[in-house]
Amino acid sequence: MISPIKLWRRQKEIKDKLGKKGKILTWTVIHISPTAFIKQVPYCVILVEFENGNQAVGQLVNYEKKDMRIGKRVIGILRKLKEVGKEDVIIYGLKFKLI
Amino acid sequence: MNSIIGYYTTCFGELWDKSLFDLVKESIQGVFKSACIEKRQIDAVFFGNMLAGILENNLHSSSKIAEILKVNIPVFRVESACASGSIAFHLANQYLNSKSGKTVLVIGAEKMTDYPVQEITNALLGALSGEEQAAGLTFPGAYAMMAKAYMKKYGYGEKSLAYVSFKNHFHGSLNKQAHFQKKVTIRNILESPYIADPLKIFDCSPISDGACSLILTSDKSLIKKAKHSVSVLSCETATDTISLKKRKKIYELESTKIAADKAFKKAKLKRKDINVAEVHDCFSIAEILAMEDLGFWKKGKGGKLITYGLTMLGSNSKPIVNTSGGLKSAGHPVGATGVKQIGEIFLQLTNQAQNRQVKNLKYGLAHNIGGSGGTAVVTILGKKS
Repeated sequence: MISPIKLWRRQKEIKDKLGKKGKILTWTVIHISPTAFIKQVPYCVILVEFENGNQAVGQLVNYEKKDMRIGKRVIGILRKLKEVGKEDVIIYGLKFKLI
Repeated sequence: MNSIIGYYTTCFGELWDKSLFDLVKESIQGVFKSACIEKRQIDAVFFGNMLAGILENNLHSSSKIAEILKVNIPVFRVESACASGSIAFHLANQYLNSKSGKTVLVIGAEKMTDYPVQEITNALLGALSGEEQAAGLTFPGAYAMMAKAYMKKYGYGEKSLAYVSFKNHFHGSLNKQAHFQKKVTIRNILESPYIADPLKIFDCSPISDGACSLILTSDKSLIKKAKHSVSVLSCETATDTISLKKRKKIYELESTKIAADKAFKKAKLKRKDINVAEVHDCFSIAEILAMEDLGFWKKGKGGKLITYGLTMLGSNSKPIVNTSGGLKSAGHPVGATGVKQIGEIFLQLTNQAQNRQVKNLKYGLAHNIGGSGGTAVVTILGKKS
């Protein structure tokens, strides 16, 4: 069960990561996903180290195969995360695009 | 010192004719017979299970086990993701050390194959961090990220990973209780489809049903009378962050290193003393990392050493690893796995491992991981002298 108040609690820290630059520490491409991500398969998930040393996990968007490399530079962006569930709440969160 | 005096495991696999508590009941009846004891001799029960609450609205398993046993003794249900079984064993050992009882029953069980793979993936996700769940990461995905970082750092390819599954399927082919009892070739593994790049379906342990039970006791007269017994030299656990992003190194499991150091220190043994080990190979990369983090292999060498077959039955090296077939081939009913690993070492040390028996044994080790390394349990068992 997801609700706006739960999302608000979870999303308080996301703003600190938006627009922040970093590099890919490691990555994978998911072929078997949880239910809410089935329509996105296959998708790339990366672990990023920001310039301030903090790290975050998120999906990489708008990429080509050659871009999935350790050390590649990315920036944090806000995107819709997964399919809308029965609660009709659209969940936004952190993803990354290449610089 | 506490001793294990009996072990029973159901077959692992797609057991459509059996419910979770059918499996639990079979393993309890089996272990009582194996240890030649009666229920009135049991002071408490420790039950490892992860998913029954999420998948089938099946909670308060303590009283369900009391109903099966028709007893009123304390029954504790333990959850620690894939380490639930070992944590149940750890707590049972502590319970005896604190002299709260003399003889306890340890059960691990899971029922997984009633559900589509996405539902199981969702349920298992409960053991990843919120941020990882929001990113659509999965358990194979988390280990795939460790594998990518490890392979890049030390210059290995997917073929190194394949040798883990090749060995464990060979071992599983000798285990009549294993989920998969078929050998596979390196080519079969490398040509199988990706689950999470670089991990392919043959790099991943399966979704399985199964239950295992052990009898653990401090009662000297029971140990003396037992047909088979092994001593618990140590059972130590350590934790780490649930998030990969907070780890010191992504290709190293700090929890394994800490638990192993504590366990070897307590058992007063060195790495070279261990003859057989069951290590947590939920994914092929996990066995390579485990061998390094447990201190058997130097960091970064595992990708090469695994290809030499040093840990395969028939090798003269020590330790021989995952004679049960590991999680990969024997199957991975998550709550049962930790108990099965300790049980396999019990079978080896008491010469009951049949056609997968390792000769001239003295000490064995079991290593069980919860989550992507958030919990580790290392248990060292010694042959009765």
